[in-house]
Amino acid sequence: MQDTVLIVGAGPAGLSAAAQVAGVGYKAVLVEKEDVLGGAPIISGYARLVPSGEWAKDAIGRMVKRVEDDANVAIHKGTKVTELNGEPGKFTAKLSNGKSVKAGAVVLATGFTHFDSVNKPEWGFGTFPDVVTTTQVEQMVTAGKIACPSDGRTPERVAILLCVGSRDRQIGREWCSKICCTVSTNLAMEIKELSPKTQVFVYYMDIRTFGLYEDRFYWKSQEEFRTKFIKARIAEVTAAPDGRLLLKGEDTLVKRPIVIPFDMVVHAVGMDPNMDNPEIAEVFGVSLENHGFIERGEHYTNTCGTTRPGIYSCGAAYGPETIDDSISQGMAAGARAIADLHGLTRKAG
Amino acid sequence: MATYAEMQQVFDDIRSDFRYDHELNGCLNCGICTATCPSAQFYDYSPREIVQLLWTENVEQVYDAMQEKIWACAQCMTCAARCPFKNSPGGLVAIMREVAIKHEMQSAKDVLRPFGRVMLKLITTGNQLSPDMIQPDHFPDWGPNIQKVDGDLRILRKAIPMKTLQTTDTAWEISLKTSVEMYTIWEMTGVLKSLELMDENLFDVIEDFIEEKREEYEEWLEEQEED
Repeated sequence: MQDTVLIVGAGPAGLSAAAQVAGVGYKAVLVEKEDVLGGAPIISGYARLVPSGEWAKDAIGRMVKRVEDDANVAIHKGTKVTELNGEPGKFTAKLSNGKSVKAGAVVLATGFTHFDSVNKPEWGFGTFPDVVTTTQVEQMVTAGKIACPSDGRTPERVAILLCVGSRDRQIGREWCSKICCTVSTNLAMEIKELSPKTQVFVYYMDIRTFGLYEDRFYWKSQEEFRTKFIKARIAEVTAAPDGRLLLKGEDTLVKRPIVIPFDMVVHAVGMDPNMDNPEIAEVFGVSLENHGFIERGEHYTNTCGTTRPGIYSCGAAYGPETIDDSISQGMAAGARAIADLHGLTRKAG
Repeated sequence: MATYAEMQQVFDDIRSDFRYDHELNGCLNCGICTATCPSAQFYDYSPREIVQLLWTENVEQVYDAMQEKIWACAQCMTCAARCPFKNSPGGLVAIMREVAIKHEMQSAKDVLRPFGRVMLKLITTGNQLSPDMIQPDHFPDWGPNIQKVDGDLRILRKAIPMKTLQTTDTAWEISLKTSVEMYTIWEMTGVLKSLELMDENLFDVIEDFIEEKREEYEEWLEEQEED
């Protein structure tokens, strides 16, 4: 009887799937390509998470500790799966560290890649040091200081540009990255907490702080933190002679072109499909949907399934996803994988 | 003042253009087109407004925009390069201008009148600008660099490796066959029809000229056969 589930990726979804599998008495083998566990929130140094407000290193750190302390979870760091053979109930995976794993089912918790802002050169990332990404500001918040990278000064005016690498047919990214609106309103408040004199402006096409994020983040950032929201997609970021940044846009409600000076410009970067997805699709024999994320098998009765029986997925591997929902989906995928083992056991017995 | 039915007809002509659905996918009202538009900096013109009027099928305001606004667009197409929805506001303006011409709108006639001379020069010589027009006195806005074109123009032009460019009174040597083929293209694509709608006198002059050129070409062909 096969009692092992192979889980690929140790971010929030994979950690959750591993805990689920081990929690009901089966064995999980967790394979992570990076040398640390925790996924994007740890590797990219996120600050406080939405919506709990807990520091990422504490919250995700707890998830990491839970699997590290579990004797039913075997962990391979700095390792990739290079080959997968077999069928539901009896897969064999070869790992890049030379080992091989026998598993009854596989969960791909392979996540996403942050959009690389150099792909939108007109917005100045890579050209001007004071144009940064939300990831960099997360790191500033974690370090406890908001400063312009060029000279270390505290910015008087910060602009956050939404939908960088999202909702943009020009660069083949036709999806909404789902989390950036809320993350940006949260960051606006965090910037203000660390630097009360800094004014924060958010430039948006639409604000999508869905569900309970509306009042807790969007409204609160205005009511308590005086964040200004301007409905405009910025055309270009350039520099003024004094070194400050200039944003060129149209204030669509006032209906006139505007040029506004800022000290720091933040790209709210979206979620790309994991840049390794072509390799993942090849190794695991699963399909990708047309945006490049992993394709779901069927929505309603095989929610966690990919296009290959016995291989499941969860979290941002399926498309832009929040940390909370990635964790729930990790549990679901873990449980679904166990059902495969269990079903096969019953059949055999 | 146009009747509503007339304005509706204008709108229907725009919407039924074969390029329309390619240039207009929807609109997120983000304003990046207007933000990046050089004309919007100087004129009462906003590509976002044009897109919105068309997308919301505002028949009256579309007609109104065709009286002046659409002629402010420089057709640089930066809007099309920026739009996250991949609309082409500039492409829509091109369609609207063609429909304005088709409907013989006064706005189109007013805007295009100064270009009559250019058109005449272009059709009769195949060029708009010839080397011998570039005299230092004529281009004060070029600054001192204009001196670089001072000299024996004929010899300077001989230095160009392309033989067809070694001309001084036209930008390049025009082949009679190419000219006659161009006239056929203009005829078949409706350029000459548009010209007739906009400026009948200019059209008559140009048509006479084309007829002469065609005769000239026929004669040349006959000469070739005789040889």
